[in-house]
Amino acid sequence: MRPSWWLRLFAALGFVVLLAPGALVALISISAGDFLTFPPPGFSLRWYRALLSNGTLMSALGTSALLAAIVSVLALLLGGPAAYAIARLEFPGRGMLEAMLSAPLLLPTLVLGLGLLLVLQPLGLAATWPGLVLGHCLVAIPFAVRIMTTAFATVPKELEAAAWTLGATPLQAALRITLPNAAPGAVAAAVLTFLVSFDETVISLFLVGPRLTTLPVEMFRYAERTTDPLIAALAMSLIVFAVLMVALVERLLGLTRAMGK
Amino acid sequence: MTMAVAHLRLAGLVRHYAGSPSAAVDGISLDLPRGALLALLGPSGCGKTTTLRIIAGLEVPDSGTIQVAGRDVTTLPPHQRQMGVVFQSYALFPHMSASGNVAFGLEMRGISRAERARRAQAALEMVGLGALGARKPRQLSGGQQQRVALARALAIEPDLLLLDEPLSALDAKLREGVRDEIRALQQRLGTTTVFVTHDQTEALAMADLVAVMNAGRIEQLAAPEEIFERPATRFVATFVGRAARLRGQLESGGVLRCGGAALRSTTALPPGPAEAFLRPHRVRLLRPGQAPPPGYDNTLDAQLLRRVYTGEIVVLEADTAAGPLTAEMHADGEEGWHGLAPGDALRLAFRPADLAVFRAS
Repeated sequence: MRPSWWLRLFAALGFVVLLAPGALVALISISAGDFLTFPPPGFSLRWYRALLSNGTLMSALGTSALLAAIVSVLALLLGGPAAYAIARLEFPGRGMLEAMLSAPLLLPTLVLGLGLLLVLQPLGLAATWPGLVLGHCLVAIPFAVRIMTTAFATVPKELEAAAWTLGATPLQAALRITLPNAAPGAVAAAVLTFLVSFDETVISLFLVGPRLTTLPVEMFRYAERTTDPLIAALAMSLIVFAVLMVALVERLLGLTRAMGK
Repeated sequence: MTMAVAHLRLAGLVRHYAGSPSAAVDGISLDLPRGALLALLGPSGCGKTTTLRIIAGLEVPDSGTIQVAGRDVTTLPPHQRQMGVVFQSYALFPHMSASGNVAFGLEMRGISRAERARRAQAALEMVGLGALGARKPRQLSGGQQQRVALARALAIEPDLLLLDEPLSALDAKLREGVRDEIRALQQRLGTTTVFVTHDQTEALAMADLVAVMNAGRIEQLAAPEEIFERPATRFVATFVGRAARLRGQLESGGVLRCGGAALRSTTALPPGPAEAFLRPHRVRLLRPGQAPPPGYDNTLDAQLLRRVYTGEIVVLEADTAAGPLTAEMHADGEEGWHGLAPGDALRLAFRPADLAVFRAS
């Protein structure tokens, strides 16, 4: 059935409401003025240039990117085997494991952040790389497990059984047969966990220190102190980056769906 | 001195699934000689696929043993069993080419790359796909995928070849050709094979031995002709081939009193309530009053109910004193079915040995 004219209008309205703030930020980011005002007095790329020469934000960006990369790799290495176990193996406590692994998603991040600070501070891990990595993994691993469980579950079990009958040990079959066929899911999990870590603000607020800080925290502080369009330029850059990542996933997964049976 | 040892020996296999009151496999025992093809034939849910998976090591039996060439493999995991399996879905590895699929088992055996490629190519040529080795499974037709799966299973030179409904995913036109190819290949290689099917024609056409299964048990294990001609149980009589069922009272001397008729049979069952099965193609059509051919000691006067002409075969359904009977004959045979219309009187005859008599349930 073709959607009615009214439904289309309603959907269009929804999109406008959702996308308007983004469009607003996009316009302000190329403002020539000194303040976050709309409409901008003129247009220029001066705030993008200012962004590149802002040492604090650029160093925080570097920290965030590296942190997100580490978290993404760790989440896959730890979450992948757990997801395989949940999707493929039968063992007592499987349901419990699955529930425990998604529990961090149910807790308010404020609670998580405070809890982490209380635990990590006495250990001397607050405001350190291990502390941040740990905190971010806590919220990234559940995502990795969710996505990878689905990815493993969609690979037919018969493929592994066939590999066994051909002489592959269970480990060989998992690595050579199931894992390659779950690869699109692994890419999706990698991208998503990267973004989860890269955008993580609340937990980071508890765990950063003067010498180690992440981009969302610095953006938050910058926006508190100043009102120039530099923050809009940064926001735009991040939006473009996120859209590119999502497009990459969509292309990879969309492509497999088109090729698969 | 060599003794004729069964190549495959199943002894008392039982498999229960949690939450199911009855056993999926309920005491399967059989011996299969080297080089033979066994068909496990039965309706869905009869335990034939579970039996195959137990042989392959993909399921663990609750009790019972599996021996291959005199060696107990019951506790061996599948990757140590040296059995080639063709799955119903083929289970080809989608990320590997056809030759990659076929070479996988050789790679797992530590065979060198060059030797692998040579043997994979040979296996693909054996199934007529020598030119398509570089293709991915999704670039192959259903029939070609099926051959790749067969080549993959055979490339490891298995002790036992296991086929799970290998023809069911093919369309009807292809099925017969592939069926005969598999049988020819199996005989040429002399690979002992177990084949699961619900299709009686497949089982009868391919197998040296047919095990008709029902509710987790083997109802009859015999050569195809034996299964068809001399069904051992009522289930076999009704599941394999078509048969008219006659209910009556068995008297001494194998006489079955059935409605107003007394039919002779060769059964040795004691007197009592009984039922008999009669294959339509064993029933001869006669004119009213015509004397039956020698040996056709049972004759029944009948009235034609329905005539079905399918080109090669004519099926006549008729009402007799013993109950409704079906007669089947070649359309171009000598029997004068031409011109018969519903309501016409006719005579049907069959031999005592054609009645398969069982005690009534």
